[in-house]
Amino acid sequence: MWKTVPFVTKSISSSSILLAASSLIQQQIRTTYILKRKFPPQLHKKGSPPKKLRSRHYIYDLVEDTNTKKQEDIDVILTTFVEGLGNSGEKIKVKPQFAYNSLLLPGLAVYACPENLEKYKDTLCNKESVEYSSPNALPTIKTLSRITLSVVMNKDHPWVLKPWHVKTSFRKSGYVVPDDAITLPEKPITGPDMGLENKEFYVTVTINNKEKVNVRCRLHHWSTDIIDRIPYTPYFWEEDTEPIYPEFKEVLETLPKKVTKSVNKN
Amino acid sequence: MASNAVQSVKKLGVFERKGLFDKGVGALLPEAYKKFYKEWKLTEPTAVHYIPEVGKWKRDDLTGEAVPIQNIPLPLLYPKEHNRQLWGGEAVIQGFQLRDKHRRRVPHFWFPVLKRSVVYSEVLNKFFSVIVTDRTIQLINANYGFDHYILKTPACDLKSLLALGLKRKILKELEAGCPSYKDDPVIQSQLAEKYNKYLEAYTSDEIDWYGFSFTEACNRIKKQMEEGQQKIAFKHMYRAELIDKLRAAKLEEAMGQSLKSNESGLDPTWLRKMIPFSKKKET
Repeated sequence: MWKTVPFVTKSISSSSILLAASSLIQQQIRTTYILKRKFPPQLHKKGSPPKKLRSRHYIYDLVEDTNTKKQEDIDVILTTFVEGLGNSGEKIKVKPQFAYNSLLLPGLAVYACPENLEKYKDTLCNKESVEYSSPNALPTIKTLSRITLSVVMNKDHPWVLKPWHVKTSFRKSGYVVPDDAITLPEKPITGPDMGLENKEFYVTVTINNKEKVNVRCRLHHWSTDIIDRIPYTPYFWEEDTEPIYPEFKEVLETLPKKVTKSVNKN
Repeated sequence: MASNAVQSVKKLGVFERKGLFDKGVGALLPEAYKKFYKEWKLTEPTAVHYIPEVGKWKRDDLTGEAVPIQNIPLPLLYPKEHNRQLWGGEAVIQGFQLRDKHRRRVPHFWFPVLKRSVVYSEVLNKFFSVIVTDRTIQLINANYGFDHYILKTPACDLKSLLALGLKRKILKELEAGCPSYKDDPVIQSQLAEKYNKYLEAYTSDEIDWYGFSFTEACNRIKKQMEEGQQKIAFKHMYRAELIDKLRAAKLEEAMGQSLKSNESGLDPTWLRKMIPFSKKKET
């Protein structure tokens, strides 16, 4: 089939770096059907062309279909901060399809080749360029600023709102927030006061001692006595209400409102 | 030497069929194109669809008999559509499946899985929407970029005319010093540092003739030759010849004539009568 192979390959390898420059490709890549002859063809004499293939030499067995095989993750270096992945200059391991389509083509990352590793070495050490404390900081900020936290307080006994109350409310809605990360507004909120029922205020959550995010909260009262309990309003976050103190209005207006997607009111 | 002599003796008296480059327009093609053609068509491509055995000999497990290893590649098919796509060395395989020992063999085609994706060439500073295979993308990733992949891979593995044409364009762009980044000399120098190692393998003429199919190359050389020749109307040629002959005969009238037709000393009205379709026609 390849009569001039020895001659041609010799001439090419001696004259060009094409075949020699395979140092970057460490191993053979196969992403296709790999077949094997069921009946191997007859041996041919040394130096003579291979013997003619018969029909039986075209019967193949499938060795492997590499299209369905899991591909190995590849290393890329980020050139900007990417939400959920990392800061610029960080080397990350991601799935090859995702890396190619979502990072490399839009220019958010470059290949982790030796030249690029050298080039982006200083970017990571330089702390000034680090924008967020962790890759998940921005997603956390986005989520927390979107929710309306229901803070449920006692209807029968007097209380002053403390960070641990808010922490419990966070835990009930699925967020684990430490006490020291929660900052309450300066003006104390005390109760029980039915005038504050279903009114809004905000708390500030500090993420990794760095990023600060305001969270919209709504005060509710609850009693152990079943008769005294206020009936629960479904979708309370969709109803408009007032802030507890007028000073809160300014901050609350900057926060986005939670929208329930699946509710069909009609 | 001895083997050469044996070869030439074997060839004695054997009619040698004329090859592609021995006859017709093919004979006119330059050495640069022939070199590319050898790299493209006559070099064995990387084994993609089978795993070649390594070594020269292997031993039979049971008998211990030594048998030579001869890797005979699977015959591959390349439909004409593949010339507009990047298959990364994959191909269509026509063959049979033997699904059961007692059943007749069943014809089967193994096709590569194609999908549309985007490739980005840093040198050309362009995005291309092309049909590729998973293998192409993997090769691009393994080579750290499309340009490296195209420039590093020999023509026998690129195979398609699209890939080869892109390779020629990239090489030409590198040779010209990346004019697409005219405004940014920093990037130009970076690209030169990164990719100029690939230029060493080619001469300027070889780059010019890289990546054409045989038909395209023939048409190209024909066109080049036609452009090189100047067309002279026969009447001017014959007229000059006639005047030469007359001068040789030393006719007095001819001595005063110039060889060029437009500077002829003849009366213009007389000449106009002789040329029937001239544009200016006096009544």
